[in-house]
Amino acid sequence: MNKIMITIGFVVMLLAQWFVPGQMIFEQEDVLGTGTAYKFRTQPIDPNDPFRGKFIVLNYEMNQVTHADSLLTWRDPIYVYIANDSLGYAKATHASSTLLDTDQDYVMATVNSNYNGTLHFDLPFNKHFMNEDKAYDAERAVWDINRNRDSVPSVCYGRVFVKEGVAILDDVFIDDISIQKYVEQEQKE
Amino acid sequence: MNSKINRELSELVQEKVISQEVSQNISQYYAAKTLVAAKGPNKLFAIFGVLGSLLVGLGLILILAHNWDDFSRATKTIWAFIPMIIGQIAVGYCIFKKKSAAWKESAATFLFFAIGSSIALVSQIYNIAGSMPSFLLSWIILAAPLIYLLRSHAATVLHLIFITAYACNVGYFDNASPWLYIPLFAWVIPHYYVQLKNQPNHNLTGLFHWLLPVSVIISLGGFVVGNENTGFLMYVVFFGLLYNLGKLPFFTHKKMRVNGYLLLGSVGTIFVLMLASFSWIWDGYSPIAVDIQEALVTVVLALVAIGVLVYLFQKKRLMPFNLFQYAFLIFGAIYFFKFTGSEIPMILTNLLLLALGVFAIAIGARKNRFSILNYGLLIITVLVACRFFDSDISFVLRGLLFVAIGAGFFATNYWMFKKQQKQQDQQLKITSHE
Repeated sequence: MNKIMITIGFVVMLLAQWFVPGQMIFEQEDVLGTGTAYKFRTQPIDPNDPFRGKFIVLNYEMNQVTHADSLLTWRDPIYVYIANDSLGYAKATHASSTLLDTDQDYVMATVNSNYNGTLHFDLPFNKHFMNEDKAYDAERAVWDINRNRDSVPSVCYGRVFVKEGVAILDDVFIDDISIQKYVEQEQKE
Repeated sequence: MNSKINRELSELVQEKVISQEVSQNISQYYAAKTLVAAKGPNKLFAIFGVLGSLLVGLGLILILAHNWDDFSRATKTIWAFIPMIIGQIAVGYCIFKKKSAAWKESAATFLFFAIGSSIALVSQIYNIAGSMPSFLLSWIILAAPLIYLLRSHAATVLHLIFITAYACNVGYFDNASPWLYIPLFAWVIPHYYVQLKNQPNHNLTGLFHWLLPVSVIISLGGFVVGNENTGFLMYVVFFGLLYNLGKLPFFTHKKMRVNGYLLLGSVGTIFVLMLASFSWIWDGYSPIAVDIQEALVTVVLALVAIGVLVYLFQKKRLMPFNLFQYAFLIFGAIYFFKFTGSEIPMILTNLLLLALGVFAIAIGARKNRFSILNYGLLIITVLVACRFFDSDISFVLRGLLFVAIGAGFFATNYWMFKKQQKQQDQQLKITSHE
């Protein structure tokens, strides 16, 4: 291989290595800056990833819709159209296998099951990466909240920025306190 | 110079086998050789450089995975790029300053892991939930040019390990077919080819003879979708291909331990055939469940294997007859008897295994190799042991069978030992006559 080819190859490799994470950052920042924020009610659990660290998986309460195409099956990609309910949390209004001509916000999801006119789906933005010392406590905290739901009216939700189908989970809140701060407080007590 | 050679030389001079002059020439030759080796690139530097980069890179990934949530998003983002910048500068320095192999290998290894840490950290900062295969895929592709830009063996080995991990993630955990594994695997072939041409006897070339087939053996199962039965045929065909590749003229005068193709092909064929020699393997088979994809992969592998056989025929390398080279074709034929039920294919597979065992013994006897001879005996022993689990043969007969095989072990080894002694005696006679 001659020197020019190696130099070109090296420069292309450098650009690609910068482009991929750079483009990821650019897209996320764009949605966080100009997208609409929705609150998705959720329950977290705590697994971990060998490269990206500990995270909590969020089981969103918004996971089904009644008005959907009956031909959709497991793992099919769908567009789920969302709006705010009376309490200010996100709710799914309808789902479609194609993009509809409407201004309403939507998120991408995959079909989990489609039975008897009710379609269950999985939302992709279900991982919230956390400090390794806080992930387990975060899970415990939310678990306690859900167990005592009758006595303590706490609520856990994920703040998700949505723009043209791209959805970014910005933070998870317990009673409007960021889960990171909530756990720090709990750990101090 | 080696003191052992010195001792041997003085002994040879004393015994008047060689003259003093020849002894001096030999001494000078070895002294010069040691001097050249000392001046050349130190392999140890390269190995420790790679190990150091590997540990630092992995350590960085773990440190970043801690998730330093006290830092702002901007600070964390800068940290995502710092290891990558260091790696890129090191790689650029190696390319443009034409640094030694130790430098290149270390820089390639470090940048490889820095790329992974960069994507991982950005995913972590923005909670990008992306699956493990898509994360590995971005990583592998971004690091792939390192193999050719630096001619780096470490980058090649890491590439092979990571594409295998990718294929496992997609094929076994996500239950999809890892088609992208094929072009990613093909990417290392030119590097391997250059290595074969330029350094055929290098230790690293030997390592690649093992790593490449092992990667495919692990990943191939990812292409099996539903029917495990077709998977058996697919693997036997692939092992047949490996065995025949190991018979190519390139490997003729190479050491056996370097020939990963031949050894993996042979042991793999026997292993899968042993599994297929049980009747329950054939019981659950349904001819309707044959998947087009599995059939396609198997046919392509079979065509390539037959192509290699034809090439060997043209090069007149198929003589003497070796049953191991055709085992995949015979098993392919046996496979079609599955429509008749589980009995016939099971019996035929057992007969094939027995024949292979006998053949290995014959090859061992012909080549005077105890290892191959005992490998053949081992095949027959394992076959008999396997039959103990699913047959109704009486205890007495089973016992007699084992005694017979045990006696066979003694007899064949003793016979070969005598044969070798006889040949050595003959050689001694010839040399003393001269």
